[in-house]
Amino acid sequence: MKKLIELTGITKDFDGQRVLDGVSLDIMENEFVTLLGPSGCGKTTLLRILGGFLEQDSGTVVFDGQEISKLPPNKREINTVFQRYALFPHLNVFDNIAFGLHLKKLPKAVIREKVTGVLKLVGLSGFEKRHVNQMSGGQQQRVAIARALVNEPKVLLLDEPLGALDLKLRKEMQRELKKIQQEVGITFVFVTHDQEEALTMSDKVVVMRDGVIQQLGTPVDIYNEPKNRYVAEFIGESNIVDGVMLRDYEVSFEGRTFECEDAGFAPNEEVEVVIRPEDLEITTPERACIMGTVRSVLFKGVHYETMVESDSGIVYNMATTDRTEVGDRIGLWFGPDELHIMKKG
Amino acid sequence: MKQFRSMSYPYVVWITVLIVVPMLLIVGYAFTVNGTDLLDFQFTLDNFQKFFQDTVFLEVLIRSLRVALITTVLCLLLGYPAAYIIANALGKNKFVLIMLVTLPTWINMLVRTYAWVGILQKDGLLNAVLGFFGIAPLELMYTDTAVIIGMVYNFIPFMILQIYTALTKMDHALIEAAADLGANRVMCFLKVTFPLSLPGVISGITLVFLPAVSSFFIPKLLGGGSYMLIGNVIESQFLTVGNWSFGSAISLIMAVIIMISMYITRRVDKNGGENA
Repeated sequence: MKKLIELTGITKDFDGQRVLDGVSLDIMENEFVTLLGPSGCGKTTLLRILGGFLEQDSGTVVFDGQEISKLPPNKREINTVFQRYALFPHLNVFDNIAFGLHLKKLPKAVIREKVTGVLKLVGLSGFEKRHVNQMSGGQQQRVAIARALVNEPKVLLLDEPLGALDLKLRKEMQRELKKIQQEVGITFVFVTHDQEEALTMSDKVVVMRDGVIQQLGTPVDIYNEPKNRYVAEFIGESNIVDGVMLRDYEVSFEGRTFECEDAGFAPNEEVEVVIRPEDLEITTPERACIMGTVRSVLFKGVHYETMVESDSGIVYNMATTDRTEVGDRIGLWFGPDELHIMKKG
Repeated sequence: MKQFRSMSYPYVVWITVLIVVPMLLIVGYAFTVNGTDLLDFQFTLDNFQKFFQDTVFLEVLIRSLRVALITTVLCLLLGYPAAYIIANALGKNKFVLIMLVTLPTWINMLVRTYAWVGILQKDGLLNAVLGFFGIAPLELMYTDTAVIIGMVYNFIPFMILQIYTALTKMDHALIEAAADLGANRVMCFLKVTFPLSLPGVISGITLVFLPAVSSFFIPKLLGGGSYMLIGNVIESQFLTVGNWSFGSAISLIMAVIIMISMYITRRVDKNGGENA
């Protein structure tokens, strides 16, 4: 894969407040990259710098081998899907989508053909004459995507595009967006604060906090091997327990020593152990890694969210299909590959 | 909301007494023989005939419409850029600029128009300044120019504030979207900002044109005693000549003209909004 965008040492201050602090990031051709973080982490600012709506205080933005920091948005081969769609209320669907093509002064027949094509892609064939204010949120969303894609940009920026949709529609649009991205074969840079959305759609997830990249990797890597407590807590539920790395592949916590698959720590280094709720199993006392008492049980549909307090007083959150009652004594079991060891701090 | 309906009754009475009754009186007088009692109601169309047969009145009408039109166009040409600059000004500057526009309206219009007499008259401020640069004095008082200056000055805040409101209500993301899709600053303005500010422009035009076409004290002060606009004719019919019926007829004719022009403006707005 070819490198398409190269961000180096991007720093941005707003009123003396550092929003981006030396962010460096490579984005490949045809990649679905998600910038993930809570509000105020700088993800939208980074996207706006890419789009040309903001200029960084320091650092470089190289696009296709060319420095583009000084280039205004209209001169970039990048299009944006805005947070609240920003459709032109005085134009109908056709004219909204054709806006960029009209500016390029393409022949009328070509414009018609392209608009028809992209409307089919987003599943809105026949909606040309519809007024944008008469459409549902999901439909407006599709028009916004079509309006950006019709210009055949090399990169599509999406700023929390699904935030305003209800849960069911959001799931549907997640699948749809991924499909569209694969069909048109261009780079998508997607901003969200929803970790599930990030995991579902991305090739690469960039977890951000306070203007700094915390971790960068595939959804599986980020989920299974969070680099620090922040990432572990942000990406899904997790139990984080203090422990000591006795030697390679051996960690001690809960007063016992367990086998694990991590290495490269100093002998007796203090670490944090991550166990995902779905990796904990209920078992018999003989087979148990930890013994504990059920403190609460919440029915979640597919599973029960069960809180278990171990004998040493640590509360574990587990996702299980087994029904237990509050007060039950149960054993918890996990395998070596279900422990993930992080450096402390 | 139903239980609050009865609370509006005093206002209905209020509006009836202050607006509906006077208007009905005007209509009544317009169709009555002058000098007779309104209650006797002797129907006649003479008042209208008099207006349309005398070319003097028609000339005055046309001059009034022309002056009002020029005033409106000038207010738009000067007011739009002003509104645009204010809408794009930052924080404190915006407040100061808005104050500069609205502050003069706190002072009585009549007084401010008198001030223009002082500026424009032969030995006034303007000619003093021009003379300082060696330019010969201008004869501005008692001309169309003086009247139009006075009207533009008095009515431009309405234009600026209407357009300013329309511009600030606009979502800034739309401009970014236009730029994102390849529009330069000029195209952004022509294709997005301007079409979306049209409702403000239309109400600005209405708010300037209406008072301009019927104003009587601005032409009186800056145009002089022999300068007649339709407002002055109506005023003199009521106050000097004492022909209430003819005055009412002219008022009614003006009302119809204004209604038609407003209807046309709205139509243009609607069509423009859809085609842009």
